Amino acid sequence: MITVETQPWSVMVDHAQATYPNECCGAMLGSIDGDVKTVRLALPLDNAYEGAQRERYELRPEDLLFAEREARKNGMDLIGIFHSHPDCDAYFSKTDLENSCPWYSFIVLSIQQGKFHHANSWLPNMEQTEAAKEELTHPNA
Amino acid sequence: MPKILIPTPLRQFADKKDSVDVAGATVGEALAALTTAHPDLKKNLFTDEGKLRSFVNVYVNDEDIRFLEKDKTAVAGGDTISIVPSIAGGVR
Repeated sequence: MITVETQPWSVMVDHAQATYPNECCGAMLGSIDGDVKTVRLALPLDNAYEGAQRERYELRPEDLLFAEREARKNGMDLIGIFHSHPDCDAYFSKTDLENSCPWYSFIVLSIQQGKFHHANSWLPNMEQTEAAKEELTHPNA
Repeated sequence: MPKILIPTPLRQFADKKDSVDVAGATVGEALAALTTAHPDLKKNLFTDEGKLRSFVNVYVNDEDIRFLEKDKTAVAGGDTISIVPSIAGGVR
């Protein structure tokens, strides 16, 4: 289960709406207590995809290294990645799956006509062949 | 000894440590020492064929080893090795 606190949730939604109609991406920092993950800080990061960003995103590894360092500096953990699906539902696509990493939660925000619509969290497996839906709670749920 | 920083989700396989000091003169030797000391990390980092998984990048300090000498990149005491995933995606 993953819970996003109000402040990071606002950052995530604002970033997703501001980058519309392109996809956005970013890192989620927080804590893990047993099976419960809590997102306390969201870091918007650049979509580095060199092509149609309406349908693709790419995170630079050095930006994730920065996020990992920020987490350690703040006594938190890097626990997930978020990105948006402009005018599409918050499913985990084949492209998402094949370019994922099984270590993290992946929150997908559906942005419809420029506004937040709904979100889901996904947990990809090690072979990047399927992703399980993770229970997600957030202020707009 | 170089230090390897362990990403949060992998600490459960490394006695909950957030970093591990390892022996090794190259990145390859350091990672081998890490997975020898903590065997459960191996399947998270390497395929059954012994290659780094496609989503795993390795940095020595601020440098990606793909742009250095890959697993033969030299490391020494004071160097920090980071394990950083490759992540991308999209609606289609």
